[in-house]
Amino acid sequence: MRAVDIAGTALGNTMRSKTRTFLTVIAIVIGAFTLTLTSGLGAGINKYVDTMVSGFGEIDQISIMPGADATAQMPGSSGPVAYDPAEAQATGEFGMTMLTDEDIETIAQVEHLSNVEPVVFVAAEYLETADGDQFTLQSMDLPANAAALELAAGVKPARDAMEITIPETWLEIYGTEDPEAVLGETVTLGIKDLAQQVQTVDAEIVGVSQAAISGVGASPMPSSALNEELYGLQTSGLEVEQPQAYVQAVADVEDMAANEQSVKAALSEEGFMAMTVEDQLGVITGIIDTVTWVLNGFALIALLAASFGIVNTLLMSVQERTREIGLMKALGMSGGKVFGLFSMEAVMLGIMGSVIGVGLGVVVGLTGNAALVSGPLSGVAGLSLFAVDPMAIVLIVLLILVIAFLAGTMPAARAAKKDPIEALRYE
Amino acid sequence: MSAAVLETENLVKVYGRGESRFDALKGLTFEIRQGESVAIVGKSGSGKSTLMHLLALLDEPTAGVVAMNGRPVSQLKPAQVSELRNDTFGFVFQQFFLNASQTVLENVILPLKIAGVGTAERKRRGMEVLEQLDMADKAGNRATDLSGGQKQRACIARALINEPSVLFADEPTGNLDTATGEVVEDILFGLHRDRGITLVIVTHDDDLAARCQRRLLMQDGMIVADESGEAVRSAGASVGQTSREGSRRVGGHGKHAAPVVVDGPGLDEPGPDGPEAGPTAPGAATAGAAGQVENAGTTGEERA
Repeated sequence: MRAVDIAGTALGNTMRSKTRTFLTVIAIVIGAFTLTLTSGLGAGINKYVDTMVSGFGEIDQISIMPGADATAQMPGSSGPVAYDPAEAQATGEFGMTMLTDEDIETIAQVEHLSNVEPVVFVAAEYLETADGDQFTLQSMDLPANAAALELAAGVKPARDAMEITIPETWLEIYGTEDPEAVLGETVTLGIKDLAQQVQTVDAEIVGVSQAAISGVGASPMPSSALNEELYGLQTSGLEVEQPQAYVQAVADVEDMAANEQSVKAALSEEGFMAMTVEDQLGVITGIIDTVTWVLNGFALIALLAASFGIVNTLLMSVQERTREIGLMKALGMSGGKVFGLFSMEAVMLGIMGSVIGVGLGVVVGLTGNAALVSGPLSGVAGLSLFAVDPMAIVLIVLLILVIAFLAGTMPAARAAKKDPIEALRYE
Repeated sequence: MSAAVLETENLVKVYGRGESRFDALKGLTFEIRQGESVAIVGKSGSGKSTLMHLLALLDEPTAGVVAMNGRPVSQLKPAQVSELRNDTFGFVFQQFFLNASQTVLENVILPLKIAGVGTAERKRRGMEVLEQLDMADKAGNRATDLSGGQKQRACIARALINEPSVLFADEPTGNLDTATGEVVEDILFGLHRDRGITLVIVTHDDDLAARCQRRLLMQDGMIVADESGEAVRSAGASVGQTSREGSRRVGGHGKHAAPVVVDGPGLDEPGPDGPEAGPTAPGAATAGAAGQVENAGTTGEERA
């Protein structure tokens, strides 16, 4: 029997009992559909992360954190530790090891690093427009996040200038919807010093940001110089010198591609941990991948259930067609070909289920993505929740075919073993 | 005498073991020659079906040898045995085993499909054999839409499509009424006579057995009698027997009257018995006698 005849006959046989085939295929469709959606979701979000990464262009920035053993920082995870004033100074509010000014100096001496800046959190009071309207500044973005900033208009705040960007949602304070219209406006920022006196500093709006899914761009972002100025004001007003401690520092790396490893090694030697933006996004991607795989796991369970449907359908089919099998064997069909015919029927079910399920998944995924991105989630720039990865689609179809084939082997082996005489016996 | 197509030596088949041991065949040695028509006769349980299964290579003997064209079959691999069955045997069963979901043509070409013959060739040969059996107009019908006789003719068409040298028929008329059964018998014996196909028929119908050149009478797993030559049956019994359509007949049952198939396009070969047979009227077949049966056998040999 030729392969094409086996395939044709198998297809014809699956069409004999249409209701049963339909029901079995539905089970496979559900699995294929779910798997397509979940893997598409992972691919879509990772694609979004990728666009964010590639949007940064040549990122030559690195974040530096104290490299202390993370487990030692967990409360209750270790016994009492002898008190060391020097160490204690560098312990922040949450019991985390912090960077000191000394550390910053050490870092600045590492080769290929420049513009080493401690990351400081500034809590400004208000933002005042030229017209005198004041708005609460609940939070401000860190200048270190500038690399990830998506702009609707203008440019990112220059490091050394007193500049700031505002998010698109703040355009209404100027009563406009055109982001270009607010560029060049001067705003005044108010901040309380340690003596609870409000100090002010002026800044120019140079850009309008879009909120990204990570939250970057959702609030005004000062330039490094502006941020430092504000921090200076925030910590001024008292005669007592405050010991400084920072969660992390950022620095520019000269020729990242060539020096990334040596810089990381040098920092690690000094007891610091360094991460590039890509490293940080890699963590996010890792989490997304993990979630995707968990979801895929559920889809695989659905497929597993569907595979028992295939086994059941084919077993019934083998039972019903005992005589037909006997006849085919009597007429010279080898056991191997009978096995091939029945496992092909399983594969046919798999093909139908996977094509319909994957097709449905892609259609639903793409329309759902389009509806969400242009609807409720339109505020998030460049967001994609679903992407079609051709490789993944091919893999899903192949996986389902393999599962279908495996499910078919048991009934097919049973058919192949049938004794033609038993099968043809008529009493 | 022609060469033996099937031979057996001390053929034994045992089912079960211990208490439930049943000796279905107890050491049979015989041979079936090319072009012979052999009836295996006996009561139920006498072992005749078991014997046919062994001869048809559907089953393996517990002991003893089945040889096909002088070569012991036990030497062959299962795949080769399957191929041999597909290639050289035709099967007609008491029950039709037609696939209800397929057309008559699709049912008929199944052996060719199994053999791996191409689609166009399958269809051509399928139509050819259906025409020979006056079934061409039913080719596109569902197998379930046929009458009993038509179904059995479809089965015969299926058995013939691979141009077998041996045709096994297990109670081929058992499921048919007398008249239809006669038509089917005529077709079988016509094929035997005209094409020299070796015919092995398992039956407990004495009339059918009587039309065979040789009868192996089985009892309790032994061959108790091996009669040959005498066609006991009154040839006149089926005089004027025509197929349902009446216009064409395939292999009218009368001995020398084979060439009654004059208008069948599929069977345009000349009659086997030379000029003296001629397009005789069906009635002339009443002249049938024992010697002529022998004659038909010889014909088969010549053509094989």
